Amino acid sequence: MKEYSQDLSSLIDNEFDDQEIIDAVLGDVELQQQFSRYQLIGDVLREESDGLDLRVDVTDSVMAAIAGEMQDDNVVPLTTPEKQDTNVVPFMKRFGQYAIAASVAGVVVVSSLIVNQDNATDASSTPVLNTVPFGGAAAPVSLQATPAQTENDIKERNERLEALMKDHQLQLQTKP
Amino acid sequence: MNERELDLQLIQRIQNGEQQAFALLVRKYQTRVANILTRYVRSSGDIPDVSQEVFIKVYKSLPNFRGDSAFYTWLFRITVNTAKNYLTSQSRRPPASDIDAEEADSYDGSGALKDEDNPESILHSQEVKQVILKVIGGLPDELKSAITLRELEGMSYDEIAQIENCPIGTVRSRIFRAREAIDKQLKPLLEN
Repeated sequence: MKEYSQDLSSLIDNEFDDQEIIDAVLGDVELQQQFSRYQLIGDVLREESDGLDLRVDVTDSVMAAIAGEMQDDNVVPLTTPEKQDTNVVPFMKRFGQYAIAASVAGVVVVSSLIVNQDNATDASSTPVLNTVPFGGAAAPVSLQATPAQTENDIKERNERLEALMKDHQLQLQTKP
Repeated sequence: MNERELDLQLIQRIQNGEQQAFALLVRKYQTRVANILTRYVRSSGDIPDVSQEVFIKVYKSLPNFRGDSAFYTWLFRITVNTAKNYLTSQSRRPPASDIDAEEADSYDGSGALKDEDNPESILHSQEVKQVILKVIGGLPDELKSAITLRELEGMSYDEIAQIENCPIGTVRSRIFRAREAIDKQLKPLLEN
């Protein structure tokens, strides 16, 4: 077995080139203790240890405390379960958007059909849409009459709605 | 290689998972840390606990150590802060003559508030010192000179070789032989 004492002395003085001595010290408790004593010789000569209890060596207690803390850190906390990846949310997110877009389109189509109907048509000729409240009469929501819409206004509005719909569809398609 | 490079090497090893490298840093610096603490902590019985706290803080903070300053300067700052926190927890004020990190390298601890209520530890400390000085006094001149120039003057092997007019290898060997002779007397004293 190689004798490392002289290399250890050089290590204390930072006068070494070979990394082997560090490996040797880290793997040998006796060499570590010898390292402490060599270090202490210098500390005592420089009077850095005056008034200290030289029998106390905190190395073991420090390393034990660190090992204990690391063990605590490795315990998996019970309150934070790992989030599971499922396909439910992405599925709902993706197809939900299409569903909303389809319903909006349906509403637009139905409303444009109603608006495009001839104004002259008698209300009684469209019984399905001629809804009468249960009470027999309905109070007006507002006393202000809405101005009559021209065909141009209706056409313009429909075009705007279509453009909006196309834009919305385009956004859905380009979304990842 | 200088002290700073060795410390950085050890820190890199710790960051790579070699925990024992931290034990070596503790062994290297524990006396200096305890010496700084004597300025703040009056009771010698508390110094090991506060020292332990310092090193645990250092270990936890190592991922943040960027190596901009020397490890010892950084350690010094953590030691002083921990000591001040200790004083606060004890409802005591820090000493009037404070020290800062810039003084770390030159701080020798003289004038610190040494504990004098533990005669046993003082006696032991004096005994250790006497043994070391006695062994050095009995060494051949070339060994005595080499260990003194290294430990007290802080000279490098190269500088000692120039003064002693001998090869660096001889300086290395002389310093080791001096330490070996002291260690032979010191080991039983510390084990007892």
